[in-house]
Amino acid sequence: MIPRYQKIVFIGLLVVSIVMAVVLVRLRERAHDQLLKGEDLAPTSAPAVAPAEAATLLVANDMDGTLVEVKTSLPLPKDAGARARALLEKLFEIYAAAGAMHPVAGVARPVQQVFLLTVPEGAATNKNGSSTAAGMLAVVNLSGEFADGHPAGIAAESLTVESICATLHANLPQIAQVRFLVNGEVRKTLAGHADLTRTYLTSEIPSTAVTGTQPAGEARGVVQP
Amino acid sequence: MAVIVKPRTGSWRLLVALLLVPASIWAQAPLAHGTRSVVVLDAAHGGDDSGGQLGRGLPGSSAGESPVATVAEKSVTLTLSVRLRSLLAARGFAVVTTRESNVNLDADARAQVANHALALACLSLHATESGTGVHVFVSSLAPKDTRSGGRFLAWKTAQAGYVTQSLKLASVLNSAFEQSVAGGSAGSGSNAGVEAAAIPVSLGRTSLPGVDSMACPAVSVEVAPVRGADRQVVTDVTDTQYQTRIVEALAAALMEWRTEADTEAASHPKSSGGPQP
Repeated sequence: MIPRYQKIVFIGLLVVSIVMAVVLVRLRERAHDQLLKGEDLAPTSAPAVAPAEAATLLVANDMDGTLVEVKTSLPLPKDAGARARALLEKLFEIYAAAGAMHPVAGVARPVQQVFLLTVPEGAATNKNGSSTAAGMLAVVNLSGEFADGHPAGIAAESLTVESICATLHANLPQIAQVRFLVNGEVRKTLAGHADLTRTYLTSEIPSTAVTGTQPAGEARGVVQP
Repeated sequence: MAVIVKPRTGSWRLLVALLLVPASIWAQAPLAHGTRSVVVLDAAHGGDDSGGQLGRGLPGSSAGESPVATVAEKSVTLTLSVRLRSLLAARGFAVVTTRESNVNLDADARAQVANHALALACLSLHATESGTGVHVFVSSLAPKDTRSGGRFLAWKTAQAGYVTQSLKLASVLNSAFEQSVAGGSAGSGSNAGVEAAAIPVSLGRTSLPGVDSMACPAVSVEVAPVRGADRQVVTDVTDTQYQTRIVEALAAALMEWRTEADTEAASHPKSSGGPQP
Protein backbone atom coordinates (compact mmCIF):
# COMPACT_ATOMS: atom_id res chain seq x y z
CA MET A 1 0.00 0.00 0.00
CA ILE A 2 1.52 3.29 -1.12
CA PRO A 3 1.27 5.95 1.47
CA ARG A 4 -0.73 9.08 0.57
CA TYR A 5 2.19 11.49 0.96
CA GLN A 6 4.24 9.53 -1.58
CA LYS A 7 1.45 9.80 -4.14
CA ILE A 8 1.33 13.56 -3.67
CA VAL A 9 5.13 13.88 -4.13
CA PHE A 10 5.04 11.69 -7.26
CA ILE A 11 2.23 13.75 -8.85
CA GLY A 12 4.03 16.99 -7.98
CA LEU A 13 7.30 15.82 -9.57
CA LEU A 14 5.40 14.73 -12.67
CA VAL A 15 3.75 18.13 -13.03
CA VAL A 16 7.09 19.91 -12.57
CA SER A 17 8.70 17.67 -15.21
CA ILE A 18 5.96 18.44 -17.72
CA VAL A 19 6.25 22.21 -17.07
CA MET A 20 10.03 22.04 -17.46
CA ALA A 21 9.66 20.19 -20.75
CA VAL A 22 7.27 22.83 -22.09
CA VAL A 23 9.63 25.63 -21.02
CA LEU A 24 12.60 23.90 -22.67
CA VAL A 25 10.67 23.49 -25.92
CA ARG A 26 9.73 27.20 -25.88
CA LEU A 27 13.33 28.29 -25.19
CA ARG A 28 14.55 26.12 -28.03
CA GLU A 29 12.01 27.63 -30.42
CA ARG A 30 12.99 31.16 -29.35
CA ALA A 31 16.69 30.42 -29.89
CA HIS A 32 15.89 29.01 -33.31
CA ASP A 33 13.94 32.16 -34.25
CA GLN A 34 16.81 34.38 -33.17
CA LEU A 35 19.23 32.32 -35.22
CA LEU A 36 17.03 32.72 -38.29
CA LYS A 37 16.86 36.49 -37.75
CA GLY A 38 20.64 36.68 -37.56
CA GLU A 39 20.96 34.83 -40.83
CA ASP A 40 18.61 37.33 -42.49
CA LEU A 41 20.87 40.26 -41.46
CA ALA A 42 24.01 38.66 -42.84
CA PRO A 43 25.00 39.63 -46.40
CA THR A 44 23.96 36.94 -48.79
CA SER A 45 25.46 38.47 -51.93
CA ALA A 46 28.55 40.47 -52.81
CA PRO A 47 28.07 44.29 -52.84
CA ALA A 48 27.61 45.81 -56.26
CA VAL A 49 30.75 47.65 -57.48
CA ALA A 50 29.98 50.90 -59.28
CA PRO A 51 31.14 50.77 -62.88
CA ALA A 52 34.09 52.94 -63.85
CA GLU A 53 33.06 56.21 -65.42
CA ALA A 54 34.94 58.88 -67.30
CA ALA A 55 35.78 61.94 -65.22
CA THR A 56 37.67 65.18 -65.77
CA LEU A 57 40.12 66.42 -63.18
CA LEU A 58 41.57 69.92 -63.24
CA VAL A 59 45.08 69.31 -61.94
CA ALA A 60 47.22 72.20 -60.73
CA ASN A 61 50.74 72.80 -61.99
CA ASP A 62 52.99 74.84 -59.70
CA MET A 63 55.61 75.48 -62.36
CA ASP A 64 53.40 77.61 -64.59
CA GLY A 65 50.43 78.23 -62.29
CA THR A 66 47.87 76.62 -64.56
CA LEU A 67 45.11 74.03 -64.23
CA VAL A 68 45.61 71.13 -66.61
CA GLU A 69 42.65 69.04 -67.74
CA VAL A 70 43.24 65.34 -67.07
CA LYS A 71 40.80 62.69 -68.29
CA THR A 72 40.52 59.65 -66.09
CA SER A 73 38.23 56.75 -65.33
CA LEU A 74 37.16 55.71 -61.85
CA PRO A 75 34.21 54.07 -60.09
CA LEU A 76 31.78 56.77 -59.01
CA PRO A 77 28.81 56.38 -56.65
CA LYS A 78 25.33 57.43 -57.72
CA ASP A 79 24.86 59.90 -54.86
CA ALA A 80 26.08 63.33 -55.96
CA GLY A 81 27.75 64.18 -52.65
CA ALA A 82 29.60 60.88 -52.50
CA ARG A 83 30.50 61.31 -56.16
CA ALA A 84 32.02 64.73 -55.48
CA ARG A 85 34.03 63.33 -52.57
CA ALA A 86 35.35 60.44 -54.70
CA LEU A 87 36.45 62.90 -57.39
CA LEU A 88 38.30 65.11 -54.92
CA GLU A 89 40.01 62.16 -53.27
CA LYS A 90 41.24 61.06 -56.71
CA LEU A 91 42.52 64.59 -57.29
CA PHE A 92 44.38 64.59 -53.98
CA GLU A 93 45.85 61.16 -54.77
CA ILE A 94 47.50 62.78 -57.79
CA TYR A 95 48.85 65.60 -55.60
CA ALA A 96 50.23 63.13 -53.06
CA ALA A 97 52.01 60.99 -55.65
CA ALA A 98 55.78 61.20 -56.01
CA GLY A 99 56.83 63.75 -58.62
CA ALA A 100 53.48 65.55 -58.57
CA MET A 101 53.38 68.95 -60.29
CA HIS A 102 51.49 70.35 -57.32
CA PRO A 103 52.80 68.37 -54.37
CA VAL A 104 50.59 68.16 -51.29
CA ALA A 105 51.27 65.69 -48.49
CA GLY A 106 48.91 62.73 -48.64
CA VAL A 107 46.64 62.02 -45.67
CA ALA A 108 44.26 59.18 -44.92
CA ARG A 109 40.98 60.96 -45.61
CA PRO A 110 41.53 64.49 -46.96
CA VAL A 111 37.85 65.15 -47.70
CA GLN A 112 35.53 64.26 -44.85
CA GLN A 113 32.27 65.11 -46.59
CA VAL A 114 30.85 67.08 -49.49
CA PHE A 115 27.35 68.46 -48.88
CA LEU A 116 25.28 69.69 -51.81
CA LEU A 117 22.61 72.31 -51.17
CA THR A 118 20.22 73.92 -53.60
CA VAL A 119 20.62 77.66 -53.93
CA PRO A 120 17.75 79.52 -55.63
CA GLU A 121 18.57 82.28 -58.08
CA GLY A 122 19.35 85.58 -56.38
CA ALA A 123 19.41 84.02 -52.91
CA ALA A 124 22.97 85.12 -52.38
CA THR A 125 25.35 87.75 -53.65
CA ASN A 126 28.97 87.40 -54.48
CA LYS A 127 31.76 89.65 -53.22
CA ASN A 128 31.06 92.10 -55.99
CA GLY A 129 27.49 92.59 -54.85
CA SER A 130 25.76 91.02 -57.84
CA SER A 131 23.21 88.22 -57.47
CA THR A 132 24.36 84.68 -58.04
CA ALA A 133 22.76 82.32 -60.51
CA ALA A 134 20.67 79.34 -59.40
CA GLY A 135 22.50 76.10 -58.86
CA MET A 136 24.01 73.91 -56.18
CA LEU A 137 26.23 75.02 -53.35
CA ALA A 138 28.90 72.44 -52.55
CA VAL A 139 30.23 72.58 -49.00
CA VAL A 140 33.58 70.78 -48.95
CA ASN A 141 34.62 69.68 -45.48
CA LEU A 142 38.38 69.16 -45.56
CA SER A 143 40.27 67.35 -42.85
CA GLY A 144 42.43 69.39 -40.50
CA GLU A 145 45.33 67.09 -41.22
CA PHE A 146 45.14 67.94 -44.92
CA ALA A 147 44.94 71.70 -44.30
CA ASP A 148 47.76 71.65 -41.75
CA GLY A 149 50.02 69.74 -44.12
CA HIS A 150 49.30 71.91 -47.15
CA PRO A 151 52.27 73.93 -48.47
CA ALA A 152 51.96 77.61 -47.53
CA GLY A 153 51.84 80.21 -50.27
CA ILE A 154 49.39 82.34 -52.21
CA ALA A 155 49.98 80.47 -55.45
CA ALA A 156 49.98 76.97 -53.98
CA GLU A 157 46.86 77.48 -51.88
CA SER A 158 44.95 79.33 -54.60
CA LEU A 159 45.73 76.56 -57.08
CA THR A 160 44.39 73.92 -54.70
CA VAL A 161 41.16 75.86 -54.12
CA GLU A 162 40.75 76.56 -57.83
CA SER A 163 41.41 72.96 -58.82
CA ILE A 164 38.79 71.75 -56.32
CA CYS A 165 36.19 74.19 -57.63
CA ALA A 166 37.00 73.52 -61.28
CA THR A 167 36.98 69.73 -60.85
CA LEU A 168 33.61 69.81 -59.10
CA HIS A 169 32.11 72.05 -61.78
CA ALA A 170 33.57 69.99 -64.65
CA ASN A 171 31.93 66.79 -63.42
CA LEU A 172 28.86 68.19 -61.68
CA PRO A 173 27.94 71.27 -63.74
CA GLN A 174 25.03 72.07 -61.43
CA ILE A 175 27.57 73.16 -58.79
CA ALA A 176 27.74 76.94 -59.07
CA GLN A 177 29.23 77.82 -55.69
CA VAL A 178 31.73 76.21 -53.35
CA ARG A 179 32.38 76.86 -49.68
CA PHE A 180 35.00 75.27 -47.47
CA LEU A 181 35.06 73.94 -43.94
CA VAL A 182 37.96 72.35 -42.10
CA ASN A 183 37.01 69.69 -39.58
CA GLY A 184 33.43 70.96 -39.80
CA GLU A 185 34.31 74.53 -38.85
CA VAL A 186 34.95 77.74 -40.73
CA ARG A 187 38.68 78.46 -41.02
CA LYS A 188 40.13 81.77 -42.17
CA THR A 189 42.72 80.41 -44.58
CA LEU A 190 43.86 77.09 -45.97
CA ALA A 191 47.49 77.41 -44.84
CA GLY A 192 47.86 81.11 -44.10
CA HIS A 193 46.93 82.68 -47.45
CA ALA A 194 43.92 81.46 -49.49
CA ASP A 195 40.70 82.89 -48.08
CA LEU A 196 38.37 80.08 -46.95
CA THR A 197 35.70 82.35 -45.49
CA ARG A 198 34.26 83.39 -48.85
CA THR A 199 32.02 81.59 -51.30
CA TYR A 200 33.82 80.70 -54.51
CA LEU A 201 31.82 80.96 -57.71
CA THR A 202 32.77 78.28 -60.20
CA SER A 203 32.15 80.75 -63.01
CA GLU A 204 34.98 82.91 -61.65
CA ILE A 205 37.55 80.13 -61.71
CA PRO A 206 39.93 80.61 -64.65
CA SER A 207 39.71 77.86 -67.22
CA THR A 208 42.67 75.80 -68.33
CA ALA A 209 45.42 78.28 -69.11
CA VAL A 210 48.04 78.04 -71.79
CA THR A 211 51.49 79.26 -70.97
CA GLY A 212 52.23 82.81 -71.95
CA THR A 213 49.07 83.59 -73.90
CA GLN A 214 46.90 85.27 -71.28
CA PRO A 215 46.97 89.01 -70.79
CA ALA A 216 47.69 90.16 -67.27
CA GLY A 217 44.78 89.59 -64.96
CA GLU A 218 42.69 87.38 -67.22
CA ALA A 219 44.15 84.09 -66.12
CA ARG A 220 47.25 82.96 -64.39
CA GLY A 221 49.95 82.24 -66.88
CA VAL A 222 53.69 82.27 -66.74
CA VAL A 223 55.61 85.00 -68.48
CA GLN A 224 59.05 83.94 -69.53
CA PRO A 225 61.35 86.81 -70.34
CA MET B 1 45.18 147.23 -31.81
CA ALA B 2 48.58 145.81 -32.49
CA VAL B 3 51.01 145.37 -29.70
CA ILE B 4 54.59 145.60 -30.74
CA VAL B 5 57.01 143.94 -28.44
CA LYS B 6 60.66 144.31 -29.05
CA PRO B 7 62.11 140.89 -28.58
CA ARG B 8 65.49 140.19 -27.30
CA THR B 9 68.01 138.46 -29.59
CA GLY B 10 67.24 134.95 -28.26
CA SER B 11 63.54 135.55 -28.70
CA TRP B 12 64.08 136.56 -32.33
CA ARG B 13 65.69 133.21 -32.98
CA LEU B 14 62.75 131.47 -31.34
CA LEU B 15 60.29 133.46 -33.41
CA VAL B 16 62.11 132.65 -36.64
CA ALA B 17 62.20 128.98 -35.68
CA LEU B 18 58.46 129.00 -34.94
CA LEU B 19 57.78 130.59 -38.30
CA LEU B 20 59.93 128.04 -40.11
CA VAL B 21 58.34 124.96 -38.54
CA PRO B 22 54.91 125.37 -40.20
CA ALA B 23 56.65 126.23 -43.44
CA SER B 24 58.64 123.01 -43.35
CA ILE B 25 55.53 121.00 -42.49
CA TRP B 26 53.70 122.59 -45.40
CA ALA B 27 56.60 121.80 -47.70
CA GLN B 28 56.74 118.14 -46.65
CA ALA B 29 53.00 117.58 -46.69
CA PRO B 30 52.72 116.91 -50.42
CA LEU B 31 55.48 114.30 -50.12
CA ALA B 32 53.81 112.47 -47.25
CA HIS B 33 50.19 112.73 -48.35
CA GLY B 34 50.35 113.97 -51.88
CA THR B 35 49.57 110.49 -53.33
CA ARG B 36 52.50 110.74 -55.75
CA SER B 37 55.51 109.41 -53.87
CA VAL B 38 54.24 107.30 -51.01
CA VAL B 39 54.73 103.56 -51.24
CA VAL B 40 53.36 101.14 -48.65
CA LEU B 41 55.35 97.95 -48.03
CA ASP B 42 53.53 95.20 -46.18
CA ALA B 43 55.81 92.42 -44.94
CA ALA B 44 53.31 89.58 -44.62
CA HIS B 45 52.88 87.55 -41.42
CA GLY B 46 54.81 88.35 -38.24
CA GLY B 47 54.62 87.63 -34.52
CA ASP B 48 52.80 84.39 -33.79
CA ASP B 49 52.00 83.98 -37.48
CA SER B 50 55.22 82.62 -38.96
CA GLY B 51 53.75 81.90 -42.40
CA GLY B 52 55.30 79.04 -44.29
CA GLN B 53 58.57 77.33 -43.52
CA LEU B 54 61.02 77.86 -46.35
CA GLY B 55 63.98 75.79 -47.39
CA ARG B 56 62.61 72.41 -46.31
CA GLY B 57 61.78 71.02 -49.74
CA LEU B 58 58.36 69.77 -50.63
CA PRO B 59 56.51 66.48 -50.51
CA GLY B 60 57.22 64.71 -53.72
CA SER B 61 60.63 66.28 -54.19
CA SER B 62 63.53 64.03 -54.81
CA ALA B 63 64.65 61.96 -51.87
CA GLY B 64 68.26 62.69 -52.62
CA GLU B 65 68.01 66.33 -51.57
CA SER B 66 69.94 67.14 -48.48
CA PRO B 67 67.90 68.69 -45.69
CA VAL B 68 68.25 72.47 -45.47
CA ALA B 69 67.78 74.62 -42.40
CA THR B 70 64.35 76.17 -42.48
CA VAL B 71 63.55 79.85 -42.18
CA ALA B 72 60.15 81.34 -41.43
CA GLU B 73 58.33 83.23 -44.18
CA LYS B 74 57.83 86.18 -41.81
CA SER B 75 61.61 86.67 -41.60
CA VAL B 76 62.11 86.60 -45.36
CA THR B 77 59.28 89.08 -45.98
CA LEU B 78 60.68 91.45 -43.36
CA THR B 79 64.13 91.24 -44.93
CA LEU B 80 62.71 92.01 -48.36
CA SER B 81 60.70 94.90 -46.94
CA VAL B 82 63.71 96.45 -45.20
CA ARG B 83 65.92 96.13 -48.27
CA LEU B 84 63.27 97.52 -50.60
CA ARG B 85 62.55 100.38 -48.21
CA SER B 86 66.20 101.45 -48.33
CA LEU B 87 66.28 101.37 -52.13
CA LEU B 88 63.04 103.34 -52.43
CA ALA B 89 64.08 105.92 -49.87
CA ALA B 90 67.29 106.47 -51.83
CA ARG B 91 65.16 107.11 -54.91
CA GLY B 92 63.05 109.78 -53.25
CA PHE B 93 60.03 107.78 -52.20
CA ALA B 94 58.31 108.20 -48.86
CA VAL B 95 58.01 104.63 -47.64
CA VAL B 96 55.42 103.48 -45.12
CA THR B 97 55.89 99.97 -43.75
CA THR B 98 53.26 97.97 -41.91
CA ARG B 99 55.84 96.42 -39.61
CA GLU B 100 59.51 96.89 -38.83
CA SER B 101 59.92 94.00 -36.45
CA ASN B 102 58.44 90.63 -35.49
CA VAL B 103 55.03 91.83 -34.32
CA ASN B 104 51.48 90.51 -34.67
CA LEU B 105 49.43 92.41 -37.22
CA ASP B 106 46.08 91.34 -38.65
CA ALA B 107 44.84 91.99 -42.17
CA ASP B 108 42.64 94.92 -41.15
CA ALA B 109 45.50 96.70 -39.40
CA ARG B 110 47.66 96.34 -42.51
CA ALA B 111 44.90 97.78 -44.69
CA GLN B 112 44.42 100.66 -42.23
CA VAL B 113 48.08 101.59 -42.51
CA ALA B 114 47.87 101.47 -46.31
CA ASN B 115 44.65 103.48 -46.48
CA HIS B 116 45.92 106.22 -44.19
CA ALA B 117 49.00 106.67 -46.37
CA LEU B 118 47.05 107.58 -49.56
CA ALA B 119 49.77 105.70 -51.38
CA LEU B 120 50.88 105.66 -54.96
CA ALA B 121 51.34 101.88 -54.68
CA CYS B 122 50.96 99.19 -52.02
CA LEU B 123 53.03 96.01 -52.14
CA SER B 124 52.26 93.01 -49.96
CA LEU B 125 55.40 90.88 -49.77
CA HIS B 126 55.21 87.09 -49.39
CA ALA B 127 57.57 84.15 -49.84
CA THR B 128 56.91 80.52 -50.57
CA GLU B 129 58.57 77.21 -51.28
CA SER B 130 56.10 76.29 -54.03
CA GLY B 131 56.42 77.11 -57.68
CA THR B 132 59.18 79.04 -59.33
CA GLY B 133 60.17 82.68 -59.71
CA VAL B 134 58.01 85.58 -58.67
CA HIS B 135 54.22 85.37 -58.43
CA VAL B 136 52.39 88.66 -58.76
CA PHE B 137 48.77 88.65 -57.63
CA VAL B 138 46.04 91.22 -58.03
CA SER B 139 42.73 91.11 -56.17
CA SER B 140 40.08 88.94 -57.79
CA LEU B 141 37.40 91.57 -57.10
CA ALA B 142 35.62 92.87 -60.17
CA PRO B 143 36.61 96.42 -61.10
CA LYS B 144 34.22 99.06 -59.80
CA ASP B 145 34.02 102.70 -60.79
CA THR B 146 34.32 104.60 -57.52
CA ARG B 147 33.37 107.88 -59.18
CA SER B 148 29.75 106.73 -59.38
CA GLY B 149 29.71 104.86 -56.09
CA GLY B 150 29.50 107.79 -53.68
CA ARG B 151 32.01 108.87 -51.09
CA PHE B 152 32.26 105.63 -49.15
CA LEU B 153 33.85 102.30 -50.01
CA ALA B 154 32.91 98.98 -48.44
CA TRP B 155 35.81 97.91 -46.25
CA LYS B 156 36.07 94.33 -47.48
CA THR B 157 35.88 95.33 -51.15
CA ALA B 158 37.64 98.70 -51.11
CA GLN B 159 40.18 97.38 -53.60
CA ALA B 160 37.45 97.01 -56.25
CA GLY B 161 37.80 100.69 -57.11
CA TYR B 162 41.52 100.26 -57.73
CA VAL B 163 41.66 96.88 -59.47
CA THR B 164 42.19 98.38 -62.91
CA GLN B 165 45.17 100.38 -61.64
CA SER B 166 46.45 97.35 -59.72
CA LEU B 167 46.40 95.30 -62.92
CA LYS B 168 48.40 98.02 -64.63
CA LEU B 169 50.85 98.10 -61.74
CA ALA B 170 51.26 94.32 -62.04
CA SER B 171 52.02 94.77 -65.71
CA VAL B 172 54.69 97.38 -64.88
CA LEU B 173 56.23 94.98 -62.36
CA ASN B 174 56.30 92.26 -64.99
CA SER B 175 58.08 94.54 -67.45
CA ALA B 176 60.60 95.54 -64.80
CA PHE B 177 61.49 91.92 -64.12
CA GLU B 178 61.98 91.33 -67.85
CA GLN B 179 64.19 94.39 -68.16
CA SER B 180 66.21 93.49 -65.09
CA VAL B 181 67.16 90.23 -66.79
CA ALA B 182 67.90 91.88 -70.11
CA GLY B 183 69.79 94.65 -68.38
CA GLY B 184 72.23 92.16 -66.94
CA SER B 185 71.63 92.67 -63.25
CA ALA B 186 73.48 89.47 -62.78
CA GLY B 187 75.07 88.57 -59.54
CA SER B 188 78.67 87.76 -59.02
CA GLY B 189 80.41 84.83 -57.50
CA SER B 190 80.17 81.14 -58.09
CA ASN B 191 76.57 81.15 -59.28
CA ALA B 192 76.74 84.29 -61.39
CA GLY B 193 75.70 82.35 -64.45
CA VAL B 194 72.67 81.05 -62.67
CA GLU B 195 71.82 84.50 -61.38
CA ALA B 196 71.87 85.86 -64.92
CA ALA B 197 69.16 83.43 -65.99
CA ALA B 198 65.60 84.61 -66.36
CA ILE B 199 63.36 84.87 -63.32
CA PRO B 200 59.97 83.49 -64.34
CA VAL B 201 57.09 85.80 -63.42
CA SER B 202 53.51 84.61 -63.17
CA LEU B 203 50.51 86.90 -62.95
CA GLY B 204 47.31 85.89 -61.23
CA ARG B 205 44.16 86.97 -59.46
CA THR B 206 43.21 85.86 -55.96
CA SER B 207 41.29 86.90 -52.87
CA LEU B 208 43.43 88.11 -49.99
CA PRO B 209 41.64 89.78 -47.05
CA GLY B 210 44.27 92.48 -46.45
CA VAL B 211 44.76 93.49 -50.06
CA ASP B 212 41.02 93.44 -50.79
CA SER B 213 40.58 96.21 -48.19
CA MET B 214 43.35 98.47 -49.52
CA ALA B 215 42.26 101.68 -51.24
CA CYS B 216 45.35 102.05 -53.43
CA PRO B 217 46.87 100.31 -56.44
CA ALA B 218 47.92 97.11 -54.67
CA VAL B 219 49.63 93.87 -55.63
CA SER B 220 50.89 90.88 -53.69
CA VAL B 221 54.41 89.84 -54.65
CA GLU B 222 55.24 86.27 -53.69
CA VAL B 223 58.86 85.22 -54.05
CA ALA B 224 59.49 81.54 -54.79
CA PRO B 225 62.76 79.73 -55.46
CA VAL B 226 64.01 79.55 -59.02
CA ARG B 227 63.75 75.97 -60.25
CA GLY B 228 65.37 74.29 -63.20
CA ALA B 229 63.70 72.16 -65.84
CA ASP B 230 63.92 69.17 -63.52
CA ARG B 231 62.06 71.19 -60.83
CA GLN B 232 65.06 71.16 -58.53
CA VAL B 233 65.81 74.39 -56.69
CA VAL B 234 68.49 76.40 -58.49
CA THR B 235 68.29 79.56 -56.38
CA ASP B 236 66.67 79.58 -52.97
CA VAL B 237 64.44 82.31 -51.61
CA THR B 238 66.99 83.09 -48.92
CA ASP B 239 69.76 83.72 -51.47
CA THR B 240 70.99 87.28 -50.92
CA GLN B 241 71.79 87.94 -54.58
CA TYR B 242 68.39 86.66 -55.62
CA GLN B 243 66.72 88.96 -53.13
CA THR B 244 68.81 91.89 -54.40
CA ARG B 245 67.70 91.28 -57.97
CA ILE B 246 64.09 91.17 -56.87
CA VAL B 247 64.12 94.35 -54.79
CA GLU B 248 66.03 96.19 -57.52
CA ALA B 249 63.43 95.16 -60.07
CA LEU B 250 60.64 96.23 -57.74
CA ALA B 251 62.29 99.61 -57.13
CA ALA B 252 62.73 100.12 -60.88
CA ALA B 253 59.08 99.23 -61.43
CA LEU B 254 57.92 101.70 -58.81
CA MET B 255 60.03 104.46 -60.37
CA GLU B 256 58.41 103.68 -63.72
CA TRP B 257 55.02 103.70 -62.00
CA ARG B 258 55.76 107.11 -60.44
CA THR B 259 56.81 108.50 -63.82
CA GLU B 260 53.57 107.28 -65.37
CA ALA B 261 51.62 108.80 -62.50
CA ASP B 262 53.38 112.15 -62.92
CA THR B 263 52.72 112.08 -66.67
CA GLU B 264 49.10 111.28 -66.03
CA ALA B 265 48.82 114.03 -63.43
CA ALA B 266 50.33 116.52 -65.87
CA SER B 267 47.84 115.61 -68.57
CA HIS B 268 44.86 115.37 -66.16
CA PRO B 269 45.63 117.78 -63.32
CA LYS B 270 42.43 116.97 -61.36
CA SER B 271 42.88 113.21 -61.35
CA SER B 272 44.42 111.53 -58.32
CA GLY B 273 46.04 108.19 -57.53
CA GLY B 274 48.06 106.14 -59.99
CA PRO B 275 47.90 106.19 -63.76
CA GLN B 276 44.38 105.94 -65.10
CA PRO B 277 43.54 103.06 -67.41
